[in-house]
Formats: sequence, structure tokens, C-alpha cells
Amino acid sequence: MNLLGRLLPAVPLTTGALLLTGRFTVGRRRLDPAAPAAAVLALAATLGLAVAAALARPAVRFPLFGRLPAGLAVDGLSAALIVTVAAVSLAVVVFAAGEFGADESRARFFGLMLVFTGAMLVTVTATDLAVLLMGWEVMGAMSYALIGFWWRDPGRVGSADVSFLTTRAADLGLYFAAGAALAGTGSLDLAGLAAGRGHWPDLIAAGAVLAALGKSAQLPFSFWLSRAMDGPSPVSALLHSATMVAAGAYLLLRLGPLLTATGWAATLVAWAGALTALLLGAVALAQRDLKQLLAASTCAQIGFMVLAAGAGAVAGGTAQLVAHAAVKSLLFLAAGTWLSALGTKDLGELHGAARRYRLVGVTFGIGALALAAVPPLSLWATKDAVLAAALADSPALYAVGLAAGLLSAGYAGRALIAVTRPTGAAARGATGRHGTRRLGPLERLPLPVLALGAAVLGVLALPPVDGAWRDLLGAGGEPAASPAELAVSGALALVVLAVTWTFVRRGVRARAAWTAPALHWLHLERLARTLVARPVFALAQALARFDDRVIDGGVRVAAATGRRAAALADHRVEVRVDGLVDAVGRGARWLGAAARRPQTGQVHTYYAQAAVLLAVLILIVLLVR
Amino acid sequence: MTRENPADLLPELCVLGTAVTGLLTGSFLPRTRQWIVAVLCGTGLVAGLVTAGLAARRADLTTFDAFMLDPLTHVTRIVVTAATLLVIGLAAGPLRGHRRESEFHTLLMLAALGTIVLGAASDLLVLVAAYLLAGIPGYVLAGFGKDAPGTEAALKYYLMGAFLGILMLAGVTLLFGLGRGTSYETLAAGLGTAPGGAVAVGVVLLLAGLMFKAGAVPAHFWVPDVTEGAPRVVAAFVTTVPKIGAFAALYRFAVQALPPGRDDWPLLVAVIAAATMTLGNLAAFAQRNVRRLLAYSTIGQAGYLLVPIAMAGRTDLAEPALLFYLAGYAVTNLGAFAAVIAVGRDDLLAYTGLARRSPLLAVSLVVCLLGLVGTPPTAVFVGKLLIFGAALDGHYTWLAVAAAVNSVASVFYYLRWIVPMMRRRDGGGERRPAPSARWIAYAAAGGSLVLGIGAGIPLAIG
Repeated sequence: MNLLGRLLPAVPLTTGALLLTGRFTVGRRRLDPAAPAAAVLALAATLGLAVAAALARPAVRFPLFGRLPAGLAVDGLSAALIVTVAAVSLAVVVFAAGEFGADESRARFFGLMLVFTGAMLVTVTATDLAVLLMGWEVMGAMSYALIGFWWRDPGRVGSADVSFLTTRAADLGLYFAAGAALAGTGSLDLAGLAAGRGHWPDLIAAGAVLAALGKSAQLPFSFWLSRAMDGPSPVSALLHSATMVAAGAYLLLRLGPLLTATGWAATLVAWAGALTALLLGAVALAQRDLKQLLAASTCAQIGFMVLAAGAGAVAGGTAQLVAHAAVKSLLFLAAGTWLSALGTKDLGELHGAARRYRLVGVTFGIGALALAAVPPLSLWATKDAVLAAALADSPALYAVGLAAGLLSAGYAGRALIAVTRPTGAAARGATGRHGTRRLGPLERLPLPVLALGAAVLGVLALPPVDGAWRDLLGAGGEPAASPAELAVSGALALVVLAVTWTFVRRGVRARAAWTAPALHWLHLERLARTLVARPVFALAQALARFDDRVIDGGVRVAAATGRRAAALADHRVEVRVDGLVDAVGRGARWLGAAARRPQTGQVHTYYAQAAVLLAVLILIVLLVR
Repeated sequence: MTRENPADLLPELCVLGTAVTGLLTGSFLPRTRQWIVAVLCGTGLVAGLVTAGLAARRADLTTFDAFMLDPLTHVTRIVVTAATLLVIGLAAGPLRGHRRESEFHTLLMLAALGTIVLGAASDLLVLVAAYLLAGIPGYVLAGFGKDAPGTEAALKYYLMGAFLGILMLAGVTLLFGLGRGTSYETLAAGLGTAPGGAVAVGVVLLLAGLMFKAGAVPAHFWVPDVTEGAPRVVAAFVTTVPKIGAFAALYRFAVQALPPGRDDWPLLVAVIAAATMTLGNLAAFAQRNVRRLLAYSTIGQAGYLLVPIAMAGRTDLAEPALLFYLAGYAVTNLGAFAAVIAVGRDDLLAYTGLARRSPLLAVSLVVCLLGLVGTPPTAVFVGKLLIFGAALDGHYTWLAVAAAVNSVASVFYYLRWIVPMMRRRDGGGERRPAPSARWIAYAAAGGSLVLGIGAGIPLAIG
């Protein structure tokens, strides 16, 4: 049992580490060709281990820092997540194995992907905050390395910087939470966080919520996900679906009891999720770039999970997470296919893409319809499960969530229509230039699998499977969506799709001034730069100036004073001392010359001197007596 | 009942007997074999050294009413015989086959004998006799070369000695009248009740002669002239050996003849000491002739040696300081002269590059010169330390300061000599230095170091 628990993260982590370090020992040339196969095999094994672990529920316990209980364990929530993570990662890596050619640094890429996946597995199986933080941090670091994978392009590295700094800044909340947990409960155990005394649970919840919102790209941190699009498409597919952003949602779902215990945190989280779903849905609607649209839609969909966590709908939220992982990885892989095949991701230039690449088109269509929550596809059911819980919580929350759901139908419709419309005259030249690439079998293989998942995973939130699902997650008493709600939301999604289709057909365009904020992601990045980055830089510069002028200045003044004193000593004192020394020397010479004067060489002068001196001596003796 | 055992004077008799035998033997020896006299004299000195060493183990006593056999005498005997032995070694080279070689050695022995008696005499009349015995052979030796500078030196030496000897005789007469006797024992008892002023005049006049022997102010005038004019070996002798007896006599007079409690003696001698060391060191500054330089240096050393004389009876440190300094000074000064004899040149420039020419000789000379400065671990350093200690112990701090300042100043002229030795340029001294003198220089430098490092042994015995 323990072995299983340890192997699950160990297989991808070890393989990844070997691939990464092997570049320096075996060499890229020999390692690169083997890397994709190794990664696929490792993740296939991981999937097998995940399934086994989901069934066997292993638990590993070990003391951390000498005394703190820590460990890895698979419970219902973890079981759902490890299987999802392993499956999606496998699908993405299989796709990447087909897409990444010999000209790429494959060992590095697949190594990073494996470590990324392994870190996510650690995060979702950790039973305490310390181990969770380890996985959390490694995942953040890997996301940085993956987003900036094409590091020769300064723009991509800049995007990696923004992503990493944003999530990393929010991560500090988790450290704060860990500290507070240690102080408040004396342990880092996740299950015991809500039992803290006094205001400690509030502090823990505040830190954890901050970190989760940052990692999940919820408001106000959403902008980093836009910048994260600069990574390779498989990275986006993985990062947006089962890892990274899902980690935040997972953490909130996991800490549900704590959020409830504080009283305010659950509401805050619910509203943060709902508002993110609504506003980022609007952002997605305004995007002209397919990957940006999908990124914003990720924020919005994760918003539903966060809303679920806040509303206490663990089953609904988890179902949403699992279904969304399949949908979003599918959509990103398809978008990535077109990007590499057609050289564009602009919605206006992708017309006809679905027709040219049928398999990609069909699977993308299933994914987009699922995203639009069209019955009976997956997100339709899961979203309604979440909304049912929101309704039980507060009607306003439900209204916002419902509106957000309508927006998702809108942007999914826009994307779907854009790729299925017949090729326009304007775009024909462009596609003609680029549309020569054939898709390999490895690239095709994951798409139908993921499409199947996107289509059917809704059953998790529908009778009769939903009961088992709740039992799995230990969330028996959650409200289920009533058939009426399901029907209304399904109908609304269809209506919105139709309206969207009509608008697009007629070429209706909203005024640029209205869409500008949404197009630019609500100017969140600029706000972050203005409100956070600039004051921090200003503070840093002020401190630097303080350092330069006051501290450094003090040192320099001290040095200058020393020099001045030295100069003073040189000009005033030294001259005199020197003069004194010279005078002593001259005096000694003069005295030496004088001392030889009596030595006349003539005996009569010697006699006289001797006599006189003896007389003087007699006088001295007589006088002193 | 006075003790009159001739065996008590065995070292003196050895020296005297050798002198007489040497003179007689030399008269009958062909010139080429006169070296036998040198060997004879050396043997006599060794015998004197051995007997003196054996005598040193006995208790203090007075013999013939005029000789004190005490540590002062023992050390005087040992140092004088050893120093004379070194001088004979130095003379071996220059005087080899000289037409008056045996006379030279006889005179040397007689001067040494006079010096020992000078240090051992405890009667004013014996002191005067010793003064003459130590002096007259010296005058003759100064003119031994029969050349113009030597003759001039001899004449000056003699005239100064005669003048100051007469003053000394006047002082002796005065003290005889005041103390109703010439024996130190009598004087110590008699001078206490005599008029103080008259005693002071007598003492100063007596000092005139002893200062002449010691080469101290105001009777120092002969020292540079004789050192420069006389043969080098003679210069080494007269600047070293007679001093030993003179300082011993001064100390003995101060301790044994002067009634206790006279505080004008320390002041008088301290003034002389300060004047002597200052004058000697200052006058040495600009000397270009190494013999004159060494002459002034010996005047400066005489000034240091007067410090324990001034402190005689005031502190226990005075006697060991004097005796140790005398021994250290004798060996070091002879070492320096030995190097000069070995190099064979008097010009300071001639020593340029000596360290390349003959490194060991240069090292020996440097050791001797630094020894005269008082650099550890040489013998003079220990002596100087004791002298400073004696001055401080006797509450004559100003004298200690004057001596220290003079020591620092003296570094200047010794370095003026040392530094050129280390230069590359060749000053052109003797290509092959006289071997005997060279070995004496090595031995003296080594002896100075040994005496300095092993200073604890003689001090512990004394």
C-alpha cells in the first residue's frame, strides 16, 4: 500500500528528473529521441498506478522536520484528481510526442512535463500543508520553465516571468497559512486546520484562499493565464486543465470545512468564483485570439469550481473540474493543432479550419459544445450541479452563475462558429500558405479519447451515477440540480448559441469602447503593474536611493573624511613632523660636526681643553655639594 | 697579619714571566724564528687565563696589602688575558717576521700586566704604578710602526698620558694627605672626616688619569688620533684592553676607597658618562675613516661603561652590568678591529660590496657592529640591558634615557658602515683578507653571540 502511494508521484518525478539531468550526462543528442517514448511510458504507468491507487487508497505517513506528521494519502477527492491528472497528462504527452519534432529540446520538454505532473500528483495527495507546499512550489517552478520553454524569445520569457511572479506572490499566502496553522493548531495536517483556536482559522483561510485564487487565476490574478499562453500548446493544454489552475480549485475544495468554519471565507470564495466566471466569461467573449479566448474561458470555468467550493458543493465542483479538464485539454490541443498547421490562432483567420481537419474539427466541436453547456454534454450537467448548490446558498449567487453560464455558451459558440464557417476570401491566401501540414497518428490519438470524456463525464452529476460520485467524495447531502433547472439551463445555452450564430452571421459588432476592457482582460495586468509592481519598484528605488545616499553615502563620507584627514595630516602635520625629523637630522649632523671641533689634532689644545673641563668638573662637584 | 703569598698572584706572574722570558728569548732568536716568542706569550696568556679561572673559585681576599682578589679582579684578569690572546692572534699576520716582533709581544704582555694590576690594585700608589705600567708600553706600541702617523700618535698618546698622569699623581697626593694613607681601606675610613671640597678636588684629579686610560671625556682626545695613527693591531689593543683595567679600578675606587654616603660621586661620573657617550656618538656620525669611526665608537662605549661606575654602591646591578659589559665590549670591539685588519683598508668606501667578496667576514663585521649598537642576541645587548637597569635602579632615569637616545643615534653611523657592505659595487679591499685576522673576526663575532645567548651562565656564576 505504502509502496503504491510512494510510486504514484515517484514515477513521473524520477523519470522527469532523469530526463532533465540526463541531458548533462548522456547528452541531448542521444537522449532526445528516447524522451517522448519514456515520457509516454512513464505516464501510462502513472495512469495505471493512479487507477490502482484510486481503488486501493494507499496512505503514506512520515514525520516531517522530526516531529510533524506528514504524508501522502488517496481519499475520494484525491482519487478523482489523480486519475484525471494522470489521464489528461498522458493524453497531452502523447499529443506532444507527435507534435514535437527533432528540432526541439525534447528531453527538457518531456522532463519538465513529467515533473510538472508529478508535482501536481504530490499536491493533490498531500495530507499536510508542508508536503502540499512542496508540490505546489515545484509545480509553479515547472510552469515557469514550461511557459518560457522557447527561452530564446524574450517575449515568452517575459510572459513566464509575469506568470511566475504573479502566482508566486499569491503563493506567499500559503506560507502564511502554514505558519498560522503551525501556530494555531500545532500541526500542518490539512484535515485539522478548521479546528484551530481563536482567529487562527481565519488567518489560515485568508492565506490559503489568497494562494488558491492566485494559482487558479481567479480575480484579480487572472491576467497571468493570458500571458501563460506563450508556452507551447501541450503546456497550455495541461496547465489549463488538470494541473496548475486546477490546483487552486482543488485546494479550496479540500479546505471546504475550513472555509465554512470561518464563516466569511466560504462566501468570499463563492463570490470570487462567481464574479470570475462572469467577468472572465465576458473577457472570453471579447477575445479575437482562439487561445486567449480559451484561456479566459478557463478562468471562467475554474470560477465555477471556486464557486462550488465556496457554496460547499464538493461533488459538483469536482465533477466540474474533471469534466473541464477533459474539455479544455481537448480544445487546447485542437487549437494547438491549427496553430501549428495553419500558423494562426486568430479567430478571423481560422475560418474553415474545422472543415480542413475533420477529426480535429469534430472533436473541437464536441468540446466547444460541452463548453457551451449544451445538453447532454458534460459541463451542462456539472455546471448545473454547482449552480444548484449556489442557489441553495443565495439566489444572487445563482443569478450571477447563470449569467456566467450564458456567457460561456456565447464564447464557446463564437469559437465554434469561427472554425466551422466556410473559408473566407480574405483568409484563403493565408491558409493556403500554411495549411500543408499533415497530422500524425500520435496527434490524432488523444483527441477522440478526450472528446469522449468531454461528452460523457457529465454523468458524474446526473442520476444514477451522481450518488456513487457523492459517496466517493463523501458529500452525501449536497443539493442536486432539479430537472427543471437542467432543462432551463440547457435551453438557455441553445438559445444563446443560436443568438450568437445569428449575430455572427449578420456581422454584428459591439462598439469597440465597450469591448475594449474585456479584450484587454479588464486591464488587470496594467492594474497589477500600476498598483503593485510600480509601488514596489518605487519603494525599491527609494530604498536603493536611501542605500546609495544615506548608508553608502555615510560610508563614502567616512572614507572622504579619512582622506581629508589624511590630506590634512599630509599637508599640515606631516610637513611639521617631517620638518621636525629633518631638524633632528640636521641638528644631529651639526652636533656631530661640533663634536669633532675639539679634536684639533694639536696637543696644546687638548691640554687646555682637558684642564678646563677638569676644572669645570671640580666646580660642578663643589657647587653641587 | 697581612697575607703575602706569591701564589695568589699566579696569573700576573705568568704574564710577567712570559714577558721577561719572551724578551730574553727574542734577543737570542733569529728574525725568522721570532714567532716562537708569540707562541710563548700565547702560552703564558693561556696559563694566566687558566690560573685566573682557577683563582676565581676562591673566596675574596687581600694580598700584599694592595691587591684585592674579588670577582672584579677575576673578571679583569680573565677578560684582559683573553683579549690579549686575541690581539696576539691578530698580530700574527701583520707582524710575521717583523724585525721587532718579540719586542712587540713583550710590550703587549707588560701592558696587559699593567692593566690587570690596575684593576686589582686597592692602593693608590699601586694604582699609579699600574697606570704607568699599562701606559708606557702602550705609548711605545703606538709608535711601533716608526712611521709618521704612528710617531705622531705615540707622541700625543704619551703627552696626554704624561699630563693626565701628573694630575692623577696630584690627586693621589691630595687624597693621601686627606685620608692619611693610600690603602683604600684607610681612605674609606679617613676621607669621611676630611674636608669634602678637598676630597672632591682630589677625586676629580684622580679621575683625570683613570679617564685617560678609559678614553672618556675629558681625557679622550688621544683616542681618535692614536687609533688612526698607530698600527691597526695596536689600535685594537689600546682601545680595548687598558679600558678594562681602568673601569675595574674606577669601580673599585668608588666602592672601596670612597666613604659611603657621598652623593657627589654618582653625579660627577654620570655627567662624565653622559658627556662621553654623547660626544663619542656625535663625533662618529660623519667619519669616513673606519678607524676613527671605531675610535669614537669606543668613546661612546666608554660612556655607557661609566653608567655602572656612577651607580657603584647604589644598586646590586652595577657590578654585573659593568663586568658583563666589559667582557662583551672587549670581544665585540676586537671583532670589529679584526675585520678591519682582515680587510686592510681604513676608507669606508673600501667596504662596499664586502658581503660579496667575503660573505663570512662581512657577516662577522655586521654581527660585531650590531653588537656594538646593542642588538639582541649579542653580548653587548645584555650588557646594555643591565646598564639601563642599573641606571633605573639607581634612580638616574635621565642617564638611562640619555644612554638609550645615544644607542639609537649610534645606529646611524654603524649602518653607514653596514649598508655599503651589502651593495653590489666592489670597493676594492684586500682580495684575500689576512687569514689569522679573519678567523679572529669569526671567533669574536661567534663569541659575542655565544656570550649574548648564554648570558645567563656567567651572570649566574658571578
